[in-house]
Amino acid sequence: MPETLDLYDIQGNIVKAYGRYSFRQSRYVFYSVTDGAKGRVFIKELLVKFGITNAAPWEVSDPPKPIDQDNIPDATTNIAFTYSGLQHLGLPQKSLQSFPQEFAMGMKARRDILGDDGPSAPQHWDHIWNDDLSVDIFLSINGQSPEALAQRYQGICNILKDERVEGGVLQLDGHAGPNSSTLAYQDAAVLSVRGEHFGYADGISEPYFEGCGTNPIKVIGGGKPTRKDPYTIAGWEPLETGEFILGYRDESQEYPKAPVPKLLSFNGSFMVYRKLHENVASFQHYIEEMGKDYPGGKEALAAKFVGRWRNGAPLALFPTESEANAFISELIDVRDRYYQAYKDKAASTEALRKEYDKLRLKLVGFNFNHDIDGGRCPYGSHTRRINPRGALEFGQTDAFETPGALTNRRRLLRRGLPYGKTERNDGGNHGIIFMALCASLERQFEFVQQQWVNYGNDFKLASERDPILGNHGQTPDGKSTGRMVIEAPKDGDQPPFICAGIKRFVETRGGEYFFIPSITAVRMIAEGIIDPT
Amino acid sequence: MANKSGNLYGLTTFIPIKRTAQYGTVNGQSRSSKVRELLQEWSLHPNDESPMAKVPNTYLCRFYVLNDVYYQGSPAKEDHLKSKYLIFSSNFYGKLKPYLKGMWDNAQEQLKEVLQHCVAFEEVNSSDDFVKYIKRCQVKTTFLFNGSTDDPLDEQLKALYLKQAFTHFVFDHHNLINKGKAAELQQAFKAFVDKAQPDQPIPTWSPGWEAEPERFEENYRF
Repeated sequence: MPETLDLYDIQGNIVKAYGRYSFRQSRYVFYSVTDGAKGRVFIKELLVKFGITNAAPWEVSDPPKPIDQDNIPDATTNIAFTYSGLQHLGLPQKSLQSFPQEFAMGMKARRDILGDDGPSAPQHWDHIWNDDLSVDIFLSINGQSPEALAQRYQGICNILKDERVEGGVLQLDGHAGPNSSTLAYQDAAVLSVRGEHFGYADGISEPYFEGCGTNPIKVIGGGKPTRKDPYTIAGWEPLETGEFILGYRDESQEYPKAPVPKLLSFNGSFMVYRKLHENVASFQHYIEEMGKDYPGGKEALAAKFVGRWRNGAPLALFPTESEANAFISELIDVRDRYYQAYKDKAASTEALRKEYDKLRLKLVGFNFNHDIDGGRCPYGSHTRRINPRGALEFGQTDAFETPGALTNRRRLLRRGLPYGKTERNDGGNHGIIFMALCASLERQFEFVQQQWVNYGNDFKLASERDPILGNHGQTPDGKSTGRMVIEAPKDGDQPPFICAGIKRFVETRGGEYFFIPSITAVRMIAEGIIDPT
Repeated sequence: MANKSGNLYGLTTFIPIKRTAQYGTVNGQSRSSKVRELLQEWSLHPNDESPMAKVPNTYLCRFYVLNDVYYQGSPAKEDHLKSKYLIFSSNFYGKLKPYLKGMWDNAQEQLKEVLQHCVAFEEVNSSDDFVKYIKRCQVKTTFLFNGSTDDPLDEQLKALYLKQAFTHFVFDHHNLINKGKAAELQQAFKAFVDKAQPDQPIPTWSPGWEAEPERFEENYRF
């Protein structure tokens, strides 16, 4: 019997990504707790006044609806804690000591593993991460509108002025904002052209796990690969819940390592928060210059870097720009007709929904079995690195019991949004607030970052790094040393294309590891009744 | 193993909590979370304010929420419970039926708050219904250990009271004892008996008291 998750006890944005529910703007606020008792009152008041948004589905009331707006709140509130936060809120020593080491150390202390060096080194991070006050609490507000967001934010600010809280919880300043300003929060929002500042559609594939409660068709491309057709449900199986949520079986067929008591960790997760600056001018300049020599031009080169065309179409299924464009146009057309039919209560709604779902599968329902040599989607491209989909068998069928043997334990739920305005410069304030959720920061996030983003050996690419995200270095005279070899199509006589001098396009500007407790555990932390004995 | 050991009864009950899929939530909270929250609120107060302190003859009892059974890891088979359970276990003096009636008569209001989230509790409207309900949820107790004197709770509490009071008396009057002042000691002991009333139910310890009440010691200085 499959396990039923209590989605009402799991915080929202773990299971359901808010970005998919028309929340176009977020605000991330950080606090330092200088008085544990006042800190606990702050959390209690949050629970009483706004509640913590849970993971129960919003679309459940009416399955054919694109999105059930009536069911969706105007604003959401979620909370997470750093190790020092839990310490300052008075968690017992035994519970603190039961947390994984990397979480206790924090992101800054893990910089060597994460490759946060040079311009990404912590001394260049936003002031908030280098302040004397510790970052203890993370609060995220997502709004359907800027007004809803501002209202919720104001409501939370008011709690800080409550005499039972005042002086014990300090909202931290020091987020770099536009025009060298410094802000007391980090804003992020969907860009007018959906995607991120380099122009790529983002957040397309999403791990699908046991009990997540979303449409079962999303197992295609989201689950773990089987040896069947990747365009069908048979080609995938749900990942184990315990890869993302603590207290459930994981891919090693046991419970993930989690803090005690079980009620503290059950239905919780860990979160990576990273502010990633994008050097837009350097990136576009590089693509344009190298694109002049690349067969297919700069758009094709941009696609090879990522493994998807900038419009989101995967190279594995759409090797040419015209095929990719035709597919995306068709997808948008069907989507619009489906939404319209829904609005008009037309009889065609259900048929259009099915057509749309089926088309969407072409965004995610693929693997690299027909592209073992990387002639379509390079080994070193961003998405093939981050989510190799069984490609680490290198075409040797049955190398492992399952094609996902080397990848199923490295999956991440990605959340987050772009911040700033897209401007063609390197110095501006623009990038991505990257958030990743997983049961083990070390095994999942840190491994991917260290081995797959900043190294290439698993892909037989020696020390090549992710062209987009990698921490490419410089020679002493300032020459960038990043490189990528783009494999040529298998049957042609073209040589591989060599990209040299790749600059560091993405730089870390701050971040931390957080623990996202269940709503029960948030309440217990607030009551001060976590008891590991 | 049985449910009884001497006069001690060991009651174990698994009361199924209403599943969200079937019964919905309570303001966006699953009923198992709600039950846990209510129980945790009880435990924020001193023991003697617990609703169970009002229930006659309760030696020791526990309520907790059982989410599921543990998975022992591969190659064990993974099993799950069909619902979450409110577990109520109680060690008490005497027979089951009068005990449960005592529970209903004395702690009904707070019990209802919790039990309304359990399956079929809406059918319980009287102490007889409550007895029937709990009996349906009862499982056999194993490894029952009688850690008490096997007397009714009132007698045990009175005995505790006397022991504690007498201990204070002895230490407070160590001079009379050590110096062999028998007459004075006898006077003092009479005063002690008058105050402690060994043959009467009162004064006594209250059920659930976690510590000696303030100034208790002074009461036995004569």
